[in-house]
Amino acid sequence: MYDETANPTDARHHLASMLMRESLIDKEVVAGTDGRATLVRMLPEAHVVKIGGRSIVDRGAAALPAIVSVLGEVLKTHKLILSTGGGVRSRHVFSIGIDLGLPTGVLAQLAIADALGNAHILGALLSPLGVVAIPPEMFGHLLPLFLHSAPGVIFNGDPPYSLWEHPPEIGRIPPHRTDAGSYLVAECFGCASVILVKDVDGLYDADPKTHPDAQLIPKIGVAELRAKNLETLPFDEVLLDLLERSRLVKSFQVINGLHPERLAQALAGEHVGTIVHAD
Amino acid sequence: MTEALSGDLLTELGRNLVAGSLSDRDLMRQTIGPVERILPEANVVKIGGQSMIDRGRAAVFPILEEVVANLPRHRMIIGTGAGTRARHAYSVALDLGLPTGVMSVLGTFVSMQNARMIHYLLARHGIPFIEPAQFPQLPLFLAERRAAVFFGMPPYTFWQQNPAIGRIPPHRTDTGAYLVSEVFGARSMIYVKDEDGLYTADPKKDRNAKFIPKITVAELKGLDLGDLVVERAVLDLMERAVHQTSIRVINGLVPGNLTRALEGEDVGTLISVD
Repeated sequence: MYDETANPTDARHHLASMLMRESLIDKEVVAGTDGRATLVRMLPEAHVVKIGGRSIVDRGAAALPAIVSVLGEVLKTHKLILSTGGGVRSRHVFSIGIDLGLPTGVLAQLAIADALGNAHILGALLSPLGVVAIPPEMFGHLLPLFLHSAPGVIFNGDPPYSLWEHPPEIGRIPPHRTDAGSYLVAECFGCASVILVKDVDGLYDADPKTHPDAQLIPKIGVAELRAKNLETLPFDEVLLDLLERSRLVKSFQVINGLHPERLAQALAGEHVGTIVHAD
Repeated sequence: MTEALSGDLLTELGRNLVAGSLSDRDLMRQTIGPVERILPEANVVKIGGQSMIDRGRAAVFPILEEVVANLPRHRMIIGTGAGTRARHAYSVALDLGLPTGVMSVLGTFVSMQNARMIHYLLARHGIPFIEPAQFPQLPLFLAERRAAVFFGMPPYTFWQQNPAIGRIPPHRTDTGAYLVSEVFGARSMIYVKDEDGLYTADPKKDRNAKFIPKITVAELKGLDLGDLVVERAVLDLMERAVHQTSIRVINGLVPGNLTRALEGEDVGTLISVD
């Protein structure tokens, strides 16, 4: 605690509060902020559904209309926060940006445009239902209002980290991409579930696209998944860090959007892909 | 549809990124390469909220005079901390059980108030306040007016990550300012606070705290101090930095310290990766 006698002439003008004069970096102060009150769930009935960029949207007519058709049905009974990935256009702009020597924060800023384009593609197809892509600048603050007024909303799944993106552990690719941005919305707003719609049945012990004998892992905790040290994951790796620090949303499910009926099943609480959960 | 971008127009890295997994470490190693410094002459100067701005005129006027005096020699991107009003807002939010992302929004508002105040005091020198959406104009302002003011909070708002312990946003104004200096490859990152630098404990609470003039991130993490003079997230980010591998913390209540830091002199505490 703050010691008046150590600093009798504190010339800072304080507002009286629990954290008055405290260092927010102090371990004891920080620990004291846990569990003071039950966390509020702002949108407990909403589900976050991320439609993969490269895995689904980039396939165009081969994959997206079937999912839109399922979405039309489930939106009659579920409030959905839809998001999209940036797909191959993001991969392309990353490769050009890296070649030009641009930093991770710039790559993150550039990638937002690709996911936003895909959000608008999805929004064009869902517009008869009043489900549209919301500009990122207003999405977060107005989300509860939009969701109250329409059965669902769409945003570019990217978190607004942009120039403030963290440098990754290896190389230059922004670590917080659209899976992470979708999860973080759910965690902050206390949503009912997070479903990542991809083009594989879930998580395998090896990449099923290159290893035909790969085995599906239906359910796994973060620690066990880390211990497996898999070569690739079908979602943003940083999701594991985020799950470890989760307070409200303790799991997500990866499902195969090439079997679009699984989306309805997952929203009904069925286990139809891989569930990754906090330990 | 994926074939549309897999033709000869792509570099080898482009082909690998389009086809491969971004969680593949071998592929990520292919993305290592030279990174341009976008604003190599700019210094990022963060003026503390609780430590400086909450003191009012007594602390703010002298440091801004020093900023102005240094404009002919140095370009400065000036970030602001939040301070006691953020602590008040966080306290209310904690009491109500509001999530970390909402607290991040609240902290942003306070650091924005501080940025506006600093901006108005520098306005006669033509120095603007820029929000994140106005950062594309930053190079022009630095070239023309040699400084700009921004709010230190990173614009994560509802996407702020939970801390490992507690509920206070882990990425606050020290982190936001640091990331600006890293992404632009700035010349320096200077934190202006109300202590001479880093101590073994908070000198406001512990009279036996010892001053540390120079330390590496690894050494500092090894000390596992209960309190630090900068947000812990800054240390983690420094370990991954391409450009900004050192930061300096100075006492802004001592006239001349900012000038010395801008000149690259040994003042305050230097924390570096190696």
